[in-house]
Amino acid sequence: MTTTPTTTHSPSAWADAFAEANNSDAEIQAHGKYFTTSWLLDAADHSYVIVVETGTVTRIAVDPGPLDVPYQFAIRASAETWREFGVETPAPMYHGIWSASFQRDMRLEGDVLALMQNLRCITRQIELLRVIGSPV
Amino acid sequence: MNSKISPVTGRYVTIEVDGLEYKVFYLENGTGQPLVCQHTAGCHNHQWRGLLEDEEITANYRVIAYDLPRHGKSDPPENTEWWKEEYKLTAEHYVNFIVALCDALELEDPLFMGSSFGGNVALQLALRHPDRFAGVLSVEGADYSPGFYLDWWQHPHANAAQVCASGVWDLMAPQSPEADRWKTWFYYSQGSEAFKGDLHFYSVDHDLRGRLGEIDGDKCPVVMMTGEYDYLTTPEDSARTASQIKNGAFIDMPLIGHFPMSENHERFRTHLIEALEILQNVKKQTV
Repeated sequence: MTTTPTTTHSPSAWADAFAEANNSDAEIQAHGKYFTTSWLLDAADHSYVIVVETGTVTRIAVDPGPLDVPYQFAIRASAETWREFGVETPAPMYHGIWSASFQRDMRLEGDVLALMQNLRCITRQIELLRVIGSPV
Repeated sequence: MNSKISPVTGRYVTIEVDGLEYKVFYLENGTGQPLVCQHTAGCHNHQWRGLLEDEEITANYRVIAYDLPRHGKSDPPENTEWWKEEYKLTAEHYVNFIVALCDALELEDPLFMGSSFGGNVALQLALRHPDRFAGVLSVEGADYSPGFYLDWWQHPHANAAQVCASGVWDLMAPQSPEADRWKTWFYYSQGSEAFKGDLHFYSVDHDLRGRLGEIDGDKCPVVMMTGEYDYLTTPEDSARTASQIKNGAFIDMPLIGHFPMSENHERFRTHLIEALEILQNVKKQTV
């Protein structure tokens, strides 16, 4: 059922697309009043610190240096795994951060409490990859 | 205005289990052999809403979907100060509850079907009470399912309702109808206080590794069925389990996840009808 990954655009173009998708997403805008955090999407080949304020992505740092941009938690996986996320209908175990953490190479690190506090909107953010494509 | 009254009815029955008094709520519809249905951990009987109104299945089976105590409309025990204790479900109490409920409803030769922690207790019932049940359907079950007894389900610094609901979201298949997945999410937002205690049974107390050969699959045949998007109990886990049970059968369910009856009843029902036929055929051959 896996559809072919479609994303080949640059990291900065992906960041722009992600911010736009988040900021126009009905669910996040309806439920993100207290969705304020910053988190690291680590895709091995590229990484992004995503800064969210009251449901709006206000900044995405592309490939930040080691101490450039603080973040609360990190979601890390191989580029191959993220590519599986970035398709319209992901294959089993690539359909969420829980499944990929339990069964594949994804890791949830840092202040996991902050992740849990924002789990509803983070879950939706991850699913935006099915529309905008893989970050790598 | 159009209106339609469902044939599904709800009642309460009061039972005693291990000295605890429970007022149990159950929904039912249909006539024929009782098919007793257990919801998943931290949830309630609305997960079976599609089955309860399935005209083909309720023509042949009396579908009974109860709320386990502390879930839905079944309150915690009536006769203890339960709020002074941590809830940790055990296999022993869970099994005793289901048998007591079936006795109270005077069910003859019931089939039992449960999903997730209900699928695991189905195996416990087949092991401990093969004379009481005509067969069990273990949905998303396995001999052992560690890893989900987590503090996050009740962490006071996070929104437990949302952590439970969004924490199980990825157990569902992206192909399942969005509205049904959101209903399941909604149910989970209601059950956070019981979820972790349920998972004490699911991930800690339930361990039938090395004991599956003791299940009398002639008296109480077992059919297991698991969705390919289930990351907790994978199809491989259930197939491995079924292969060690005498007469054990396994049905692989593509394009569906850990809550098949709730996330996509239309897809699930085709596998369920096959599973019921397998159970009936095993019974015919062994009687």
